Amino acid sequence: MDEAVAVAPGAGAAPTGRGRERGETRSLYLLAVFLVCAYALPFVVGFSAGTARLDRAWLATLATVVLGGVMQGGVYAMFALGLTLIFGVMRIINAAHGEMVMMGAYLTWVAFFRLGVDPLVSLALTLPLAFLFGMAVQRLLLDAVVDQPELTALLITFGLGLVMIYTAELVFTTDFRTIPYVPGTVRITETIAVGQNRVISFAMAVVISGAVYLFLKLSRLGKAVRATALNAEVAMICGIDVRRIYLITTGIAAALAVAGGALVSIQFGFNPETGIVYTLQAFAIIILGGRGHYVGALIGGVMLAVLENLVSLMVPNGTAMVELAAYGLMILVLLIRPGGLMGVKEG
Amino acid sequence: MARHEHIRNLVLLGMAGLALAVLPHGLSIYFRSFALFTMMYVVLALSWNVISGFTGYTSFGHVAFYGIGAYTCAILVTDYRWHWLSTLGVAAALAALGALALGYPVLRLKGPYFAIAMLGAAEGTRVIVTVWDSLTHGGLGISLPSAETSLETYYAMLALMLVTAAVAYAVGHSRFGIRLNAIREDEVAAEALGIDATRYKLAAFVLSAVFPAMAGGIQAYKVLYIDPPSVFFIQITIAMALMSMLGGKGTVIGPILGAVVLYSVQEATWVNFPTAHLIAYGLFIVLVARFLPRGLMGLAIDRGWVRKGMVH
Amino acid sequence: MAGCSFAVPRGTICGLIGPNGSGKTTTFNLLTGLAKPDGGAVLYRGEDIAGMKPYQVFRRGITRTFQITRIFREMTVLENMLSVTGLAAAERIARARADELLALVNLTHLRAEYGGRLSYGQQKLLEFARALMTDPDVILLDEPAAGINRTLLQHLLDHIHRLHEQGKTIVIVEHDMNVIMNHCERIFVMDYGVKIAEGPPAAIQGDERVIEAYFGRRRAAADVGR
Repeated sequence: MDEAVAVAPGAGAAPTGRGRERGETRSLYLLAVFLVCAYALPFVVGFSAGTARLDRAWLATLATVVLGGVMQGGVYAMFALGLTLIFGVMRIINAAHGEMVMMGAYLTWVAFFRLGVDPLVSLALTLPLAFLFGMAVQRLLLDAVVDQPELTALLITFGLGLVMIYTAELVFTTDFRTIPYVPGTVRITETIAVGQNRVISFAMAVVISGAVYLFLKLSRLGKAVRATALNAEVAMICGIDVRRIYLITTGIAAALAVAGGALVSIQFGFNPETGIVYTLQAFAIIILGGRGHYVGALIGGVMLAVLENLVSLMVPNGTAMVELAAYGLMILVLLIRPGGLMGVKEG
Repeated sequence: MARHEHIRNLVLLGMAGLALAVLPHGLSIYFRSFALFTMMYVVLALSWNVISGFTGYTSFGHVAFYGIGAYTCAILVTDYRWHWLSTLGVAAALAALGALALGYPVLRLKGPYFAIAMLGAAEGTRVIVTVWDSLTHGGLGISLPSAETSLETYYAMLALMLVTAAVAYAVGHSRFGIRLNAIREDEVAAEALGIDATRYKLAAFVLSAVFPAMAGGIQAYKVLYIDPPSVFFIQITIAMALMSMLGGKGTVIGPILGAVVLYSVQEATWVNFPTAHLIAYGLFIVLVARFLPRGLMGLAIDRGWVRKGMVH
Repeated sequence: MAGCSFAVPRGTICGLIGPNGSGKTTTFNLLTGLAKPDGGAVLYRGEDIAGMKPYQVFRRGITRTFQITRIFREMTVLENMLSVTGLAAAERIARARADELLALVNLTHLRAEYGGRLSYGQQKLLEFARALMTDPDVILLDEPAAGINRTLLQHLLDHIHRLHEQGKTIVIVEHDMNVIMNHCERIFVMDYGVKIAEGPPAAIQGDERVIEAYFGRRRAAADVGR
């Protein structure tokens, strides 16, 4: 028979075929392998450069550093959670997220030094303020750009970030500030100790992230948020007021960022420009964890912080290279599995 | 477009070139610099537009190519005593290779992921340049020996701008440009029409990398000092993107318009409001992105002053 | 889809029908490179095109339209037409062909309008005309009748028959049974990813399995026929 087209026996395919599943698991394994290599790298460099040694003292230092990294990661994870919320629900990249963290640090500083309020207590004040700020940003700026290509949101949030940085500079100058809070360490063993403020920050971060996570998982509003993240059009048809969800999402994200800023302010020094680094770290974390995946943000946060600390400890020229850790992780994930650890392969 | 329209546009371009060529002789050093940098931003915005406006792949790290160009020129001139003009060819070649190597894996990514990947690439390049100080003098930066008058670099930048404008025009009014637009509109449908998206994207990406690199090289020789933060400055990427958006991305005149307007505004505010000008700049970005996302050309098209589409 | 086997005779108009979810669009996707088969082959003129990229399939002379029109909304009608590759290098020739096709579907007066501003019916015609730019040998139409009025549909069918007279092979996925039964020479019926029947319209109309596939699932089906 003179045939134009023939589909031969046995041909089969499905929208989610076996081939695609294989691709998913394969990319996950590949990513895991490369991640292990990424973590091994500082050790390799360290041992060859002599900054790492296999004795008890150094191992104790290592343990301290890793533990510190985990705790730091908890705080990172918390503000990354905010970013992944926005990205997941609205497909918008908030380039001003780090600036919101910075804003949180300054708000806490003002509360502490001008009003004499304990940083943790001031959260009761700063979090609602942040929530309102987030809603305002959403209503005034982001509502209009949700449906547009990602560039518009990137630019608008970048502009917002600039305004925030330089307003802060105007008000607070570029001096680095710190909040001396609960100095002292917590001893785990004789040789391993962690700063008390770090432990407290970690605990607060866990509490706050946990609260948000439970909210998203269990409450009706939280489920509405997750539904909107999955498919905003369908959510609308189901009667969900999508605009309201957007407001709440950005509000929560801003609150998480500000909380992150508060917790960071009691551990590290900050100035108006430190937000830029936080934004990038948050990007790296949500890429690693997967867009919109809350547990992923937690895992990503801890992983990034630990890697940064390892690099800082063992790689000569470590402080500059720490930034590279974030970019490196980010690019690694994007090249192998853009969806991150918890997302689907394509992201 | 009819042939006579193309010729008319070419003549216009030539006249503008001539006018700009005569210009510096009547200007102070300050205004010569101003004109040079305006032209530089025209080059940057036009190039960025090829990959991000036409093809729709928002490159948020394009400054990487600019920085590579700046460093290529600086290193070759300072450490190897090359003549600065010949370094531009090397800068272009390196940028092209870099774009090819980077583009192949990264252009597979979708929208926001591509933007973030490019951001990571640019910042990563900056860190590598900072750390690799045996080659690049690291954070100390490079001071270039100068033997030029401010005219040499001016004319070089003018020539570069005319070439870039001509290339952008050719892209925008050809079927190549139409296909880039098609990829932006609906990559799947474009592939179903025979467009090998990978190849077209790579071509656009390489094309968009070459001119910023040369601009970076010329700029290095003009400013005579570069260091990683100044040439890998994220604000430069933002400027490219904002200029294209302000003028109207996806058109040819748009980025030119946007570059001239924005750079003039920037200079004016910087001169008049030294402390607050960055706040004003940030505010300006927000307002443009919020209210004018299709840019001035978009406005003109909507009002009917300009014909729709690029090919008529 | 699972274990399917079709053979489309050259130069015929064929119909591909089946309840929703039976795998019709997936079949088209397999044929045009938008999906990869897990096994088996797709033979075109003796060559296995399974797994080829869509642009490679296109260049071999197979085009398709989509269930929901995928025209380029922010480009003009003329630009939509010119975006197609594989034509003679001279732009003049491409334009001439574009103008010819636009005249055929009565869209010449809209050639400078944005694709997104066209009515739904006009968009369908544009997509149809665009698919014909390279004078392909095989044309796959995914629900061409959906959402357009009877007059327009008649025009479309006239075009299809004209193409048929030129010797082209056409496969139509449709839910509109009038279109299928009155215009197709051979019909393939799918259900649950398997081919359940094949033959001329008369044979299909009386086929038990086809009737069961449609009526047995009537409770779940959203739209069967128009």
